[in-house]
Amino acid sequence: MASAAAWEGPTAGELMSAGAAAIPGGVRVKGWVIQSQKGSILNAASLQRFEDELQTTHLPEMVFGESFLSLQHTQTGINLHFNALDALKAWKKEALPPVEVPAAAKWKFRSKPSDQVILDYDYTFTTPYCGSDVVIVNSGTTQTSLDGCSALCWEDTNDRIDLVALSAKEPILFYDEVILYEDELADNGISFLTVRVRVMPTGWFLLLRFWLRVDGVLMRLRETRLHCSFGNGDGAKPVVLRECCWREATFASLSAKGYPSDSAAYADPNRIANKLPIVTQKTQKLKIPD
Amino acid sequence: MGTSDLDRQIEQLKRCEPLTEAEVKALCLKAMEILVEESNVQRVDAPVTICGDIHGQFYDMKELFKVGGDCPKTNYLFLGDFVDRGFYSVETFLLLLALKVRYPDRITLIRGNHESRQITQVYGFYDECLRKYGSVNVWRYCTDIFDYLSLSALIENKIFSVHGGLSPAITTLDQIRVIDRKQEVPHDGAMCDLLWSDPEDAVDGWGLSPRGAGFLFGGNVVSSFNHSNNIDYICRAHQLVMEGYKWMFNNKIVTVWSAPNYCYRCGNVAAILELDENLNKQFRVFEAAPHESRGVPAKRPAPDYFL
Repeated sequence: MASAAAWEGPTAGELMSAGAAAIPGGVRVKGWVIQSQKGSILNAASLQRFEDELQTTHLPEMVFGESFLSLQHTQTGINLHFNALDALKAWKKEALPPVEVPAAAKWKFRSKPSDQVILDYDYTFTTPYCGSDVVIVNSGTTQTSLDGCSALCWEDTNDRIDLVALSAKEPILFYDEVILYEDELADNGISFLTVRVRVMPTGWFLLLRFWLRVDGVLMRLRETRLHCSFGNGDGAKPVVLRECCWREATFASLSAKGYPSDSAAYADPNRIANKLPIVTQKTQKLKIPD
Repeated sequence: MGTSDLDRQIEQLKRCEPLTEAEVKALCLKAMEILVEESNVQRVDAPVTICGDIHGQFYDMKELFKVGGDCPKTNYLFLGDFVDRGFYSVETFLLLLALKVRYPDRITLIRGNHESRQITQVYGFYDECLRKYGSVNVWRYCTDIFDYLSLSALIENKIFSVHGGLSPAITTLDQIRVIDRKQEVPHDGAMCDLLWSDPEDAVDGWGLSPRGAGFLFGGNVVSSFNHSNNIDYICRAHQLVMEGYKWMFNNKIVTVWSAPNYCYRCGNVAAILELDENLNKQFRVFEAAPHESRGVPAKRPAPDYFL
């Protein structure tokens, strides 16, 4: 758990011995420029822009549309970017069927107004988003893709992110947590997408997390971990691994295993991730262009 | 409990210092005597200032009083959701309740969907009571009082005020007046709808939420409700709006939101709606209390060796 004391940032000595430099909202280290920006939720005008672009009037209650995390490798033009708009595009595309809350069972027996319309968008804002890949080509034009292997090439690998090495308490040169969007599901639970990063002298590590709890119904945790190892020497190529892990469980299945069935026991995804069975998991390696 | 005791308690609560458990019990008993007499559609006279969700953001509520004026100099109508999510639900609700007991005709509190046993156990108020008092007694006294809060208010017979919105089971105000409100917020029915439903642009009539529970109502529903009940517009809360207030359906319904920088991170402004004796409207927009006045240090995220 993080200490409550305010963090003053890395010391000048820590930055210098890592060959790093602090820049506004981030850090420059070993050929990478890593930056975050955090803003307010969308105002009426930018909300309209999002609605137009996404072709929907149903967006999370809190969309931090100006917030982002960006990791750019200057030499290769690789730019890994994390933002709400792209994540919501992926939500719109996946379009999961709605999840009924427990009260829905009783509501089926209510007398219905004759002109009732049933809305059927995925109000949980579940997204398969694992970051936006951008390659900045020398001419200055950019290629973007949401997923898969188009702008950047991610190859399946048997390598694993070395969590033991990541447990070493190296100095942290930059740290931030950025909320991309959040919704309270009208007090039926919680849905949020956040991205955290920590940058160390030997590499950076990032966790993008979609967390959903529909009270009394289900929990869904979709995590993407990215680890970049800077490598040694001047001409060294970075090694970037991406591991996606999706977990999901119903309250009924947890309760059958003897775990608590009240929502208050599931406030912190960190503490319960291991209780949720894995649905899919894969690790990929970024093909670094020459 | 005399007036001087009450005045002392109000001063104490204004410093964000909670009352003792025994004081809370006595205050709640007194409040119950007052609230039990109120109608489900409580009559309110103008001038009055209408406030939306507060959610335990005590220091931001103090900003609200700075902008709107102190009670009883200003008359207030609060549209519910006093508790949960913020750090100071206990002090926030008790201050409003103490003002209600001290100046019953100057402040009206109606019920929000968070004024419920079930919801407060998930979203913070229960845990806060347990943490601050070491027992759940204060939570019990407060949630018992929640059952007595009125469901709506009618300002000068012209402005209908409610926490959430309308219900397909309600076409006239008299149908609200006959609800037996002294109970936990039910999962369905008219009382549930008044506290939970939302206006929705995508429908004209009624919509059912994709959750399978929860009504959405469109412009036609609002027009015909306002027309049948001879009211000018509906004033409600319940939904976060970045600008603090939002009109819909040709000014037939307005959402007022009074928790600035909601959850201490949204960066939104808050608003209150001031109505003068002739029902002229003025929205007063305000921002969150500055960090140094809230006793919580500005947080820069501490680095964390997350995996």
